Amino acid sequence: MRAELINPFVSATSEVFKLMLSTSLTRGPLSLTTDQPPAHEVSGMIGISGSVRGMVMISVDRTTALNAAEKLLGARPAELNADVLDAVGELTNMIVGSAKAKLEAWNLSIGLPTVLCGEMHCVKFPPGASPIVIPFDGDLGRVCVKVGLIEATAA
Amino acid sequence: MSKKVLVVDDSATMRKIITRGLNVAGLTDVVEAGDGCEALAAFQQHAFDLVVTDWNMPNKSGLDLTREIRALGSSVPVFMVTTEGERGRVLEAITAGITDYLVKPFSADALRDKLDKYATV
Repeated sequence: MRAELINPFVSATSEVFKLMLSTSLTRGPLSLTTDQPPAHEVSGMIGISGSVRGMVMISVDRTTALNAAEKLLGARPAELNADVLDAVGELTNMIVGSAKAKLEAWNLSIGLPTVLCGEMHCVKFPPGASPIVIPFDGDLGRVCVKVGLIEATAA
Repeated sequence: MSKKVLVVDDSATMRKIITRGLNVAGLTDVVEAGDGCEALAAFQQHAFDLVVTDWNMPNKSGLDLTREIRALGSSVPVFMVTTEGERGRVLEAITAGITDYLVKPFSADALRDKLDKYATV
């Protein structure tokens, strides 16, 4: 996967956390991954279509999800409830939407977010997507962005 | 009397953020809707002074909602808050009848600057 496809998701994640959550993120080293269960308990996912197709997944642990929801909602939820999952979904929507805008020349469409909650949940990316893992760390906790995209081939 | 505002977004989180921003601006009479269909039904029941809407929603998009509001003959300000930041999309929204636009993500200051205009007009 080309760097020009990955970099917008890196910058979008940092921008969303900076603007919406007033927190800076530090990116860790990128890695390739097979479809292993994500390290964190809550994942927001959005499908992408157009010149590239695939999926982007944003995963956070319970504490990070609660911290982020508290910042967005103005009050800390007592547990991983519908409000927290909605908050993770909206963060996912903003990250992927912002990256899509940076990739304007690729004419991408994105779907609505889906959020999964549960330890060891396993998500399969489309065949050939070879997801790249982009880890971040910040005051609210760790964020794991997984980008699995396939470029459309000429007919 | 506070102006009446319709806030439309399928994300409860975003509706809360927008509503909180409206309240800070002194706009406290807020009705929320989770999609364009719900919003259109509310719009036909109440006289709103402002509509704040997302673009991409299930059932009916914010863009289609805007077109239908304009088709009803209403000139109410419609302020779109969306991740759709590409220039072509902004032009599409303006053509549909959107009167103001804010791209997500946004800072609290950027939201306040936009909403303050409607509190004073």
